[in-house]
Amino acid sequence: MTRGRQRLEPTFANLLLIVLEGAWSIVVGLSVTFINFWRKKVTDRYPHRDPNRNWQPRPGYRGDFALITDKETGKLRCIACQQCQKICPDQCILVVPEGKGKERHPTEFYIDAGLCMYCWLCVEVCPADAITMTPDYETATDNPRKLIRDLDYLRGGVVKASG
Amino acid sequence: MTTETRTRTEELTINMGPQHPSTHGVLRLVLTVDGERVVEVVPHIGYLHSSMEKIAEHLTYQQYLPYADRYDYLNAMGNELAYVMAVEKLLGIQPTPRCQYIRVMMAEMNRIASHLVYFGTLGNDVGAISVFLYCFREREALLDLFEAVSGQRMLYHYFRIGGLRNDLPDDFCDGLAQFLDYFPSRIDEYDRLLTKNRIFRSRMEGVGYLSPEDALSFGVTGPCVRGSGVDYDIRRADAYYIYPQLEFDVPVFAEGDAMARHLVRQEEMRQSVRILQQCVEKLPRGEVNVKVPRRIKPDPGETYARVESPRGELGCYLISDGTEKPYRLHWRAPSFHNMQAYPVMCKDAWIADMVAILGSIDIVLADIDR
Amino acid sequence: MSVLSAITTWLRDALEGICQRYGIPLLAVDILAWLTAAVSVIALVLLIVLFFVYLERKVSGYVQTRLGPMRVGPIGLFQTPMDALKLLLKEDIVPRGADKILHTLGPVLFFVAAMLGYVVIPWDAKATIARHVDLNIGILYVTAVASVGIIGLIMAGWGSNNKWSLLGAMRSAAQMISYEVPMLLAIICVVMQAQSLSLGQIVNSQQGTWLLGWYCWRPWLWLPLILFFIAATAEVNRVPFDIPEAESELVAGYHTEYSGMKFGLFFLTEFANVFIVGLVGATLFFGGWLSPFGNPDPLHIPGFFWLMAKALAIVIFLMWVRWTLPRLRVDQLMALAWKLLIPAGFLAIFIVAVVLLYV
Repeated sequence: MTRGRQRLEPTFANLLLIVLEGAWSIVVGLSVTFINFWRKKVTDRYPHRDPNRNWQPRPGYRGDFALITDKETGKLRCIACQQCQKICPDQCILVVPEGKGKERHPTEFYIDAGLCMYCWLCVEVCPADAITMTPDYETATDNPRKLIRDLDYLRGGVVKASG
Repeated sequence: MTTETRTRTEELTINMGPQHPSTHGVLRLVLTVDGERVVEVVPHIGYLHSSMEKIAEHLTYQQYLPYADRYDYLNAMGNELAYVMAVEKLLGIQPTPRCQYIRVMMAEMNRIASHLVYFGTLGNDVGAISVFLYCFREREALLDLFEAVSGQRMLYHYFRIGGLRNDLPDDFCDGLAQFLDYFPSRIDEYDRLLTKNRIFRSRMEGVGYLSPEDALSFGVTGPCVRGSGVDYDIRRADAYYIYPQLEFDVPVFAEGDAMARHLVRQEEMRQSVRILQQCVEKLPRGEVNVKVPRRIKPDPGETYARVESPRGELGCYLISDGTEKPYRLHWRAPSFHNMQAYPVMCKDAWIADMVAILGSIDIVLADIDR
Repeated sequence: MSVLSAITTWLRDALEGICQRYGIPLLAVDILAWLTAAVSVIALVLLIVLFFVYLERKVSGYVQTRLGPMRVGPIGLFQTPMDALKLLLKEDIVPRGADKILHTLGPVLFFVAAMLGYVVIPWDAKATIARHVDLNIGILYVTAVASVGIIGLIMAGWGSNNKWSLLGAMRSAAQMISYEVPMLLAIICVVMQAQSLSLGQIVNSQQGTWLLGWYCWRPWLWLPLILFFIAATAEVNRVPFDIPEAESELVAGYHTEYSGMKFGLFFLTEFANVFIVGLVGATLFFGGWLSPFGNPDPLHIPGFFWLMAKALAIVIFLMWVRWTLPRLRVDQLMALAWKLLIPAGFLAIFIVAVVLLYV
């Protein structure tokens, strides 16, 4: 016996057994598909969402990017420390700083969403808590150039109270 | 008996893949067939090579973590686990108990998700297409849970060196418990629909035999080796984290054919449910993160950490030269080693069997080619 | 006489009147009638086949807890016409090194063979395409024509210059020839029962109170019934016998290299074949155009409707089976035909013969 599985003796009784058992297994299988035929359908008819279904991404979802504007000062929190630029594994962030000390702020801020792998490392590393990802996942475009987020695009994102 | 004209037969060489519906990605198999019988099969790999190991040498330890997700995309949490374990071993850190529990939960959830994909694609390979959709329906529930935890549905980047990205959301355990309640009945459903089906059994039984000796000599691990009757599971053999405290069986089937491997996976899903139920019950409170330095610079040295991935022994071999970046990283890829046994399994197979056998090995091409 | 036949008779009488007045030979009316019938049946079949493609997608969707096509038209009804339109507009690619003639003729022959089968189907009492001619060997004709389609498949498989196509074609040839035997054996049982090869006669001999006269109620015909449907499923290459085009093994089997409307022809023909199985199955075992409420129908519903309803039910059942079962391996398929179904077929003939002789 080289093969692992025992085979049935090819007798008539065994054959009949296999046929009957096979027919029964097929009937059982049919019953399973029949049950599923009447089950609630899972199709999510994007973009015509069913309002009764919970489809919104959970908080903390890693979608599109935003720079957080401070509510009190009305300015970006970003201090252009370039830490996100350094930690980004894909090197898809470019920050051009201006000014010294408290005045330091970005004049240019680019994120290439086509390169990004949405790892959240930039958000974690940020000392000023200035960059985040929004739950907006509908970022597809017809032109890869549109995927490069500039400062104007990022500014329009999230406004948060400080602290 | 002499005849004037002899029928001359010739063997036919066929390229199966890289573009073929059931090579699970871009595997290329060069088949030599005699009619429908396979005489020889030569797998050609490398079409999905993505320099996963070389990339690590250019990135810091934290930066490489999202790449670990992408290497075996069906088992992202498991890859993170192996990598994080290796780095923590180098640093000499032990994660907190709560963190260990959560990591084990994530790994087991991902095992179920990965086995569901296996189940569905195998059904697809043998022609039962509905199973595929059923499995993905259940997987969707798991992905929703992963999304709630990590913010992503497939490539989570949830583990961090020394801890986790964040603690579990409040309603996570309820959601998981709800899933665990109904999921076993769904496994029974697949069992009735596919595993018990006579046609499916005749397709899988006695097909793709792999002897335990061959399995061990090829370095086959995971469900494939357990389907050949070798009781080898890293969760038992080299238990890590909280596995010694958990009650679960390691299913072993001695038949060594495609059906045995299939049954191992089906049973493993049930066992993962058991593990998860215990984890939900026992989950301790407390911190999830250990303090780690901002710049991770392990002392020079090397380490090897291994976990039981859905496909077998997933190892991460790491050499540090004392800088911020690994000197060398090597993945011990389970699919790569399991794939080596494929030509042996395909001995005397039919073309249709090859597809079923390939399905029963459950390869992930990204895992093979890295 | 049903409504449908009443209309046709009236039309025919009117036409004959016109012919007599202007001295046109009556043969012209016949030719006109045949042409009309042929065109209308082809149009009807194509329409119904389009609907079946839609139905299959809907059924598969529902079985898989999906919704199926929903976007084009109300509940996706226009999806298949649009797909057909798309196929018509697509580039027709003939692979390099392909035998152009065979590559083109293959789908055409396959399609024509399928359409020929519809000639003898009794849509209603005395309503086949050839009006007066209820072909007295109708069922023989159907099976004979059905086997012509194989040649089309082999032409397609050989002419594509693709090894997968060739394998698929060889599989289909082996499979369809093998399964013709048990199917014929099953049909012979029905023929023995009805004492006729004519489809019209077979239906007529199933007359009875309500639906009790149908052959599906006679226990000695159950085995032939099962055999017929197993073999017929194999004849039309559907799961679990879809190995000639097994997607996961042979890419797409004999139509791997087809695109555009040639592929569309294969696709339509497959469903046309399924429809024939439904029609023939309904005719042989479920009383064809007979109404389940006694004959003539008390509600004056045309027999055509009943035949359609029965065929539809059978087709839906075949779809249900398709989305449930895995597919057999090629050797198991052959073993099933030669080792199981054919002996069972002979057993069925024996049983029917004994019953007819002694009961």
